[in-house]
Amino acid sequence: MNLKKIPALILSAILAAAAFTGCSGGGGTAPEASTPAPESTTAGENAAPAASGDPVELTIWLTPQWQGVFSPDEDGADYDSFFKEAGRRYQEQNPDVTVKVEVIPGEGRDEKLNVAMQTDTLPDLFFESSFAMSSFMHKGAIVPINDIVTEADRADISEGLWDNCTVGDEILVFPFSHMPGTLVYNAKLFREAGLEDAIGGEYEIKTWTPDEFKSLLQQLKTSLPNVYPFGLWAKNNQADTWNLAYLRVFGSSFFDENDSIIVNEAAGVKGLEYILDLYNEGLTVPGAESLSSNDNNAMFINGQVAVSFTNTVLLGNQKAEMAALDPEFDIRLANIPGDPEPKTFTYVSGGMAMNTGDETRIAAAKDFLRYFSTDAELILASKNGTPVRASVAEQVAGELPYLAAYNENDRYMFNFSNNVPGYGELRTVLFPELQAALTGEKTAQEALDSYAAAGNKIIEEARLDSVFYN
Amino acid sequence: MKASSKKPRRELPDRIVNAVVILFAVLNIFPLYWLFTSSFKTSAGIFKMPPDWFPKDPSLNNYRELLGGQPMLQWAFNSLLVSVAATLLVVACSSMASYAFAKLEFPFKKSLFMLLISSLMIPKEIFIVPLFKIILKLNWSDSYLAMIFPNIATAFGVYLLYSFFQTVPDSIRESGKLDGANEMQVFLQLILPMVKPGVGALFILNFVNVWNDYLWQMLIARSREMMTLMVGTASLMQEINPNFAYKMAGASVAALPMLIIFLAFQRYFTGGLTMGAVKE
Repeated sequence: MNLKKIPALILSAILAAAAFTGCSGGGGTAPEASTPAPESTTAGENAAPAASGDPVELTIWLTPQWQGVFSPDEDGADYDSFFKEAGRRYQEQNPDVTVKVEVIPGEGRDEKLNVAMQTDTLPDLFFESSFAMSSFMHKGAIVPINDIVTEADRADISEGLWDNCTVGDEILVFPFSHMPGTLVYNAKLFREAGLEDAIGGEYEIKTWTPDEFKSLLQQLKTSLPNVYPFGLWAKNNQADTWNLAYLRVFGSSFFDENDSIIVNEAAGVKGLEYILDLYNEGLTVPGAESLSSNDNNAMFINGQVAVSFTNTVLLGNQKAEMAALDPEFDIRLANIPGDPEPKTFTYVSGGMAMNTGDETRIAAAKDFLRYFSTDAELILASKNGTPVRASVAEQVAGELPYLAAYNENDRYMFNFSNNVPGYGELRTVLFPELQAALTGEKTAQEALDSYAAAGNKIIEEARLDSVFYN
Repeated sequence: MKASSKKPRRELPDRIVNAVVILFAVLNIFPLYWLFTSSFKTSAGIFKMPPDWFPKDPSLNNYRELLGGQPMLQWAFNSLLVSVAATLLVVACSSMASYAFAKLEFPFKKSLFMLLISSLMIPKEIFIVPLFKIILKLNWSDSYLAMIFPNIATAFGVYLLYSFFQTVPDSIRESGKLDGANEMQVFLQLILPMVKPGVGALFILNFVNVWNDYLWQMLIARSREMMTLMVGTASLMQEINPNFAYKMAGASVAALPMLIIFLAFQRYFTGGLTMGAVKE
């Protein structure tokens, strides 16, 4: 070997070793599970941090949720207002505890949390939508909070909402507010199409059977040739929760009792065939395989689509945007059709105590979490979404006209993620199969078979890294 | 007669080439035009079909919302400080290193250069966790130092300027030495001015790179006051309810200073790209 090459080889080897060291840190990739989450204690065992007498600084991260403590109309209302106020009030009762609030961008949340996990710099608390934190639950980044949830809390919040926050028997998110997802329809266009009878009340969530729904879409198509009856999308994983719901239209449970995907069984296939029929009969937007939910939403707002998707927060935006375009607009809510019953789902948001590995800080974090999730006054801020608590719903019913209908709809709720490990990755394999089905490349059965095979593989692999399966 | 008959033949290809160039220029400028005009629309207006090529009822609401109550000026200052400081340091380090590789003789020169250049093949994301650990050890979290210093160690600047320094004849360095100048004087007073287009190009490329950096700055900035424009504007967006007009306004605010810098240094940038490509 040429002697001149030896130093270069040595240096290259060092460089490669350095690179591998970096790799083992896993930047940008899923980190190894950290230390297992501490076992939950029984109610009452969780001591407040002040007992130790040492000062504790708690850090809470949140992505932008709502502005102001209770309302965006307050002076200086910002995304951190609520938690700064909650921290101030908590400190009055616990002088040794200070609360630092950091608003982080939703874009990059996972990267920030992954790096924090690998560098032992996790915040003490995180406030976020439960499903968005699914992978971190399984990585052991979030500690169970069964010990701070009382029977009164359980009774005040519906079982379906708790279900969204629980993996196995462990409660990982303290529900604060939620955001139900439904369909939204342009009642003005319905009237123009002679569909007055299909229109529900102003604040009602109308229910149609799959047959009724198809028939009203046909009527819309015949009467309003310039309007696409129904919005549909499969460009990416954006708003794919609605697509998941369509697969359940004929009663598919999607997952079996072992958390394996079974949507490729008869009921799920029938659901996809139903959607493909609507598509092939021209009852939806054309080219759905290359359209995103945002495209559909824009077409709905512009009066080009008659039935689209919404959630509690998006609905407010849709109304504001449509009012600017047409002061006489009239939009109303409907359930995703289902047989034997309609379908609905929700995004539950709440606080999580993070596994910082420091028992004192974890105890302090749990106590602060309990405080802002149960304080009679602070929980009124949940009206910025849809309150999870029946007691709050009663108090703010006058301010939230849709609340009664949402509460009524709770019985149709399904947990779309089933809190399975690898849910985030599962989302990346669904839309390509929907695209294949929409373009005719695959039949409904073939598309769902491929999805189930890829999805179950993802779940299997994710189980190996999950603290709940090991 | 002969001359006049040849002229149209030359003009026709020129016109075709010009038309193609103009077409590509318009295609390149259009996204920028769409970004700025959309920032004066509502979210629904952006998606309207058929689209409004110019906002029908232009409104400053998105900018009012963006600037009202947020430390936008502080974020802009942070972005500017981090980008300028990191870029100046990159230019200083890279020019000295590339001069050494191009003009000086020292042991293992080629191997070291190869090693440095090979680091270009390793994506930055791989270094994120170890780098973050170093920042924590230095107690630099949530500081300008953490945003600036990791950007300095870039092989790209050395690689870019190396080819520029190679185009400078060795005789210039030798004559400087003969006149009694030391190495630093030769570098600063004789050679560096000759590679000004390369330095200008590096300045712009690095400035844009640091200005647009999102991941690292997002990881480092913890307090609201330390955020850069990119991170700050992103922290105002609700993930569940994206307001695209608001996003467009944020992107416009973030893009404007970069455009000004580019226009100011444009002649170095274009000159630098062509000059570095030719070896004498």
